[in-house]
Amino acid sequence: MTEAIVVENLTKVYGRPDSGVLAVDHINFEVRRGEVFGFLGPNGAGKTTTQRMLTTLLEPTEGRIVIFGHDLAREPYPVKRQMGLVPEESNVYTELTGWDNLMFTAQLYRVSGSERAKRARELLETFGLWEKRNVKVENFSKGMRRRLSIAMAIIHKPALLFLDEPTPGLDAQSARAIRDLIRQLNAEGTTIFLTTHQIEEANQLCDRVAIINHGRIAAIDTPERLKQAFRRVQSVEVALEPDGGVHGEALAALPGVTTPVKMGDKWRLYTEDPSALLPLVMDYAHAHDLRVVSLSTLGPSLEDVFLEITGQQVGTVRHETPEEKPRRQRMGSGR
Amino acid sequence: MKDGRLQRLSDELAQAWTVAVKDVKVYYLQPGMIMFGFLMPFFMFFSFSVRREMAAAQGVARLLALTTFFTAAAAGPFIIPLERRLGTYDRLLAAPMSLLTLLLGKTAVGALFAIGVSAVSLLVGVAAFGATVARPWLLAAGVVLGSFSFSALGLIFGSIPTRNPGDVQMPSTLLRWGLLFISGVFIPLAEMAPAAQAVACLSPLTYAQDLMNHAVLRAGLLNPWLDLAVLLASGILFMAPPVWMHRRARRLGY
Repeated sequence: MTEAIVVENLTKVYGRPDSGVLAVDHINFEVRRGEVFGFLGPNGAGKTTTQRMLTTLLEPTEGRIVIFGHDLAREPYPVKRQMGLVPEESNVYTELTGWDNLMFTAQLYRVSGSERAKRARELLETFGLWEKRNVKVENFSKGMRRRLSIAMAIIHKPALLFLDEPTPGLDAQSARAIRDLIRQLNAEGTTIFLTTHQIEEANQLCDRVAIINHGRIAAIDTPERLKQAFRRVQSVEVALEPDGGVHGEALAALPGVTTPVKMGDKWRLYTEDPSALLPLVMDYAHAHDLRVVSLSTLGPSLEDVFLEITGQQVGTVRHETPEEKPRRQRMGSGR
Repeated sequence: MKDGRLQRLSDELAQAWTVAVKDVKVYYLQPGMIMFGFLMPFFMFFSFSVRREMAAAQGVARLLALTTFFTAAAAGPFIIPLERRLGTYDRLLAAPMSLLTLLLGKTAVGALFAIGVSAVSLLVGVAAFGATVARPWLLAAGVVLGSFSFSALGLIFGSIPTRNPGDVQMPSTLLRWGLLFISGVFIPLAEMAPAAQAVACLSPLTYAQDLMNHAVLRAGLLNPWLDLAVLLASGILFMAPPVWMHRRARRLGY
């Protein structure tokens, strides 16, 4: 079996099924063994609910989850032994030391006595926490708590690691260290399920991403293929002098421009055909005696794809269509 | 297969113990709780003995029943909502152990605390007031079973699906004080009207108090074996609502 996770028709209604709030709506996807799978979506899209169902914290209203060949509803125990969970909040015991936190988790996952201390030392050294091992966690910084939280999740060497928003709120150095660690864990064979709304992080780390919106999977593919599928959000970026912010209307009127967006001292002109637009931009600059400070074409970023799919704004223009309006509603209220 | 089941059972027991030890370190070995544990028996004793003509042994029997009752559920009901708020409860729920194991660990820690405080109460009664214990083994069994039963009772309130410990305070306090008045603590069971005795039979504290009377004074009203059986059965029975409430919360997403 090459799949680590198989999700079929997974549905979650908070409250009673006939009158509750639909959070996840019949989603299907697979996560392959050894991949970093990104689960993207705006706030409230159903990311954390899905992850909580995958980690047994919530019971699905409908559907089936199979992890490493085990049906999660019937055989949670062997699955739980193979998974690690890093929730959005660093859920460490602040009254205990870093060492005690690791020992507690190792005992909970039945790591053998001889292995426990060795593994805890390895992890504390890897995460740069060895010197602070006997300090109570209440004195740790946010980044240190995050690192400890990840160390606790992997002390039993799980084959599958769930990470929920691992880097928000961290300084650049800590965030980078955690991203490097995710790569390292994946290189060692751990399958990673990464829930995030940080698109660039998903772009850098994930083999494949699923985008969830209003409780439904809107797209699943590799980041590059998703970008290719959304060629209409390519753009030409130009900086003109003198700028003065007066060129918006004129640039928007150029043939092929779908959306002009002012980005600092530059204009980003979204178009389906950047090569056709480039000479028009140059002509405009010459005609108005403007100096072209910089000019470049940009493929769609994963952020553009995300915004396009989730019906949010790319720059100033909404891309939501009537069919993509929120589908979530109370069950049994005319659905 | 049998080895696998034994291994699983051994794992689950070890995990329950791990949860209990963790709770002791995180919540019970705190200065406030230690002070509470040492002072509670004194306050209890003086509350019920000042200006009353009461023999030391009688006071100790009452004191032991009250300390197990109040200390077994002193922190338990508030720990789970607090852990829910901090996110640490998810760590326990996601761990490879059954829900019953987790709840057993949570019950054990409250019971251990109550047993410890009861030991302090007994020492105070014996050393300071010269009380004697007629049946030490009955006393030990009563304290252990009573502590487990009352700790499991507290866990029912801890299982209310909330992240705010304050939401648990009111119902927990109301029930405990209510039981205190109907359980033959203020008025001995033998002096109660028949209707009041019938109501008292519904409270596990009645059986704990009667058992302490047997153990310390050799003067209980009910059969001590009945007292022990009811405390054991109520301890097991009180585990059922928390299991049901946790499963319901997981299903409905509370």
